[in-house]
Amino acid sequence: MTDQHEDPKFDQWLKERAKSYHSPLPTPRDALWKRIENARRHKRVIELRPWMRWAVAAAAVLVLGIGIGRWSTNQPSAPAAAGTRVAIEIDSLADVAYQVAATQYLSRTEAFLTSFRADANRSVNTARLARQARDLLTTTQLMLDSPAADNPRLRSLLEDLELVLMQISLLNPVQDGQDRDLITQGMNQSNVLPKLRSAIPAGPVSARNQGAL
Amino acid sequence: MDESSLIARVRAGDSAAERALYDAHVDRVYRLAFRLAGDDALAQDFTQETFIRAFDRLGSFRGDAAFSTWLHTITTTVVLNGLRKVKRFRQRETDIDDAHDIGSMPRHAEPDLKTRLKQAIDQLPEGYRTVFVMHDVEGFTHEEIGVALGVETGTSKAQLSRARAKLRVALADFAGEWIT
Repeated sequence: MTDQHEDPKFDQWLKERAKSYHSPLPTPRDALWKRIENARRHKRVIELRPWMRWAVAAAAVLVLGIGIGRWSTNQPSAPAAAGTRVAIEIDSLADVAYQVAATQYLSRTEAFLTSFRADANRSVNTARLARQARDLLTTTQLMLDSPAADNPRLRSLLEDLELVLMQISLLNPVQDGQDRDLITQGMNQSNVLPKLRSAIPAGPVSARNQGAL
Repeated sequence: MDESSLIARVRAGDSAAERALYDAHVDRVYRLAFRLAGDDALAQDFTQETFIRAFDRLGSFRGDAAFSTWLHTITTTVVLNGLRKVKRFRQRETDIDDAHDIGSMPRHAEPDLKTRLKQAIDQLPEGYRTVFVMHDVEGFTHEEIGVALGVETGTSKAQLSRARAKLRVALADFAGEWIT
């Protein structure tokens, strides 16, 4: 398609100049391959389904309460078969509610740590970073105290996250740059981001909430 | 060995074939991720995620299009979704930081062409920028871009044309460079 703006001279000039836009570094082939292998190995082992069960009641209690309440007021003399059907529906409702909550927590943590690492050399508000890290840290510690942490792989991931988030929450504005470098190095060494990503279902958030977590 | 045999070996669980397939495509995936993200750490993250998804979903690759085209579809999805997340996160930070910084904006020197060009490309709408980078910077064809982004070839051409038009306006101060 062409339009009134077409200008071959400008297009050619632009193409040549634009080569400098975000000029890539050489591909770190071997390092990347190692990361991919590690993440895939980890993904094969980690199984989050078991820890979906424990928190069903806690995460979905409101949904269930409302659902049961509505059902019981609308169906004063429900037969036994209907009760069974409702129990199944409640189970799947609770599953979905928990998947949403867990996926949101993992996605938020991933977005936070990805930005933290990408912004290592940028001037960002340290107090704000620390506050966000503290919020996520609280959730992480709750999960560590739950039966979810019975899964050794998941426990290891949560412990890594706890350490990183704690370090960020304690960032000192005076020695900010140095501290951030150390935290970023630690994150790279422990492979915490690849592990975290492998624990998050692929796809957009809406699809993730429907997938197996 | 041709690519379809290589893919068949990967599907059969051959790890050497996985590495060979990765080696054949990683440069272009990483380059595209870097061009769109402008950051090495993000580009590495996106490249990693692209290959993990590609290996996981290789069973769904039917071979209707070239493997590279299929792989670049995954790449653009991963990169654009990832950048949206980072952008949302940074925007929240900026909104709050800006509230404290009003009245203390530093003065900058007049930027040179390279800086102005980068700013102008960064400010393009996401769709225009993606097509522009893929076509004019990385040399993808409109057909490849159409498949990767899930749009018609004509849409890709139209977006490129509009991207160039916007850049022409944004860089009008340098018109002497391309008119002479």
